[in-house]
Amino acid sequence: MEGILAIWQRDVIKFLRDRARLFGSFSMPILFLLIFGGGLSGTMEGLISETVPEESDFQYIQFVFPGIVAMTLLMTSVFSSLSIIEDRDFGYMKEILVSPVLRVSIAVGKMLGASTVACIQGIMMFLLIPFLGISYPLASMIQVIPFMFLLACALSSVGLLIASFLKSTQGFQLIVQLLVMPMVFLSGALFPVNNMPGWMDVVVKINPVTYGVDIMKKVMIDTGSLSPVIREAMGLNLTLFGRSITVFEEVLFMLTFTIILVLLATLSFRRSNA
Amino acid sequence: MEPIIKVQQLNKKYKDTHAVKNVSFDVEQGEIFGFLGPNGAGKSTTINMICTMLAPTSGTVTINGFNAAVERSKVRESIGIIFQENTLDEKLTAGENLMLHCRFYRVPKKRREERIQEVLQIVDLTQSRQKKVETFSGGMKRRLEIARGLLHYPKVLFLDEPTVGLDPQTRAHIWEYILRLKRKEGITMFLTTHYLDEAEISDRIAIMNHGKISTIDSPAQLKKQVGGDIIELSAKDNDQAAAELEQYIEDAEITRQDGTIKIKTADSDSIISGLMKELSVPITHLNIRKPTLNDVFLSFTGRDIEQSES
Repeated sequence: MEGILAIWQRDVIKFLRDRARLFGSFSMPILFLLIFGGGLSGTMEGLISETVPEESDFQYIQFVFPGIVAMTLLMTSVFSSLSIIEDRDFGYMKEILVSPVLRVSIAVGKMLGASTVACIQGIMMFLLIPFLGISYPLASMIQVIPFMFLLACALSSVGLLIASFLKSTQGFQLIVQLLVMPMVFLSGALFPVNNMPGWMDVVVKINPVTYGVDIMKKVMIDTGSLSPVIREAMGLNLTLFGRSITVFEEVLFMLTFTIILVLLATLSFRRSNA
Repeated sequence: MEPIIKVQQLNKKYKDTHAVKNVSFDVEQGEIFGFLGPNGAGKSTTINMICTMLAPTSGTVTINGFNAAVERSKVRESIGIIFQENTLDEKLTAGENLMLHCRFYRVPKKRREERIQEVLQIVDLTQSRQKKVETFSGGMKRRLEIARGLLHYPKVLFLDEPTVGLDPQTRAHIWEYILRLKRKEGITMFLTTHYLDEAEISDRIAIMNHGKISTIDSPAQLKKQVGGDIIELSAKDNDQAAAELEQYIEDAEITRQDGTIKIKTADSDSIISGLMKELSVPITHLNIRKPTLNDVFLSFTGRDIEQSES
């Protein structure tokens, strides 16, 4: 336990000291906010007000914002797992590996470290809310944080697993590029994924981002009072095997996903150094 | 007293190489044990197996009474390792590096602060505790690593090339610290080095070659085994000189090495006087000396330690 805590703290402290990293990772989400928030919102809002005239105060950006936060979580989580490869390159991994800390504790500590870093970045995105002309209830913004953390855990474990069997930073970046973008686009973070072709729907349903974004929208936006047309148009009727999925099931999915991947990463650590 | 490290019939086989062949030896409590050998002799493989970093193909290692293959955590708690390369986190301060180590090794909370101060004092880094490691010189980093290796009261300290890449003055300092440790804390040290003059501080030395232990003995005994004196000479025409020497010297071993002829003999006086009379080519350089560890190394491995580097 102490080992997990030490490894976790080390990564968080190092992140907080690294100002460049703190601000650098905002560029991509802000770009997406501009494109999807600014660029696409006119079209979307126009479409909605044509079909449902009574929903004229509909704001598309309100629905996209949680998705962009989820995207920030995804990118930061996965890239923070890169610290494993850095530790290996700079020798520090050896210090950890020869210590009595259990391999599973190393994996969990690293995963929690990356998740915490991602979560801090995600919460910092909230600072942009006033500038977007939207608002969320304060209580729901606080409520959403544990779910954000859970999503970050699931995503960090993806990065962890990749980093555990890759040797070089370059290889890692390549795989991440191939993985991160599809995970964003096939999650409902930026646009609804209601009517995807069969195989794509499978990807959507095994993608943890899908469930994370869905919970975030459910918590942050008062979905109950929305008209059915908007719920459908914004992809808020996520179903699994033909029925609506509950928050509890989504949490369970992300937890299971995280545990499986962390265990796989642990095995990979064991194999690489005995 | 029970040996602190017991290595029995240790083997490591890879697909097409047999890196470590039936190696057995003991390391006694409190001794400095030098572990030498040319590169590729299987030294690192052996050490990695002893340190639980690598699983042996067969054989057992026991450290402090714990089996290295079964009770890994216990063994890891019993040893401190100072790696050849830097394994500090340079973005953190010296104090933070030490505190992390305490936590990895479950040093009791109450003892941490006191222990950190203690080890910093041993290596004279008390003043630099709050500084980031990236601002340290090479020697300071090394000292900090030694301090860190000591934090959890290890029974055995593994020192892998502890002075490599350091200037002679810093090297001398590091050895002072290491010897001070031996005196103060009575820790057993397992040392590898390429500087044979540094291996002299060992109580016993093992030389490994081609995956096997060639010999284990004290430095003095090893040098005695090489025996007698060593005459080194070079002449205007080395080929001619060597040929003549072969003819009239009987009880000595003659070897050639980059421009010098080496004669190993028990009776250097008579050889020198004979040499002056008999040799037809003028001698340009002549030197008589006692055998060094380098000669020992050479006679057991057939290679000079400097040559084995490349």
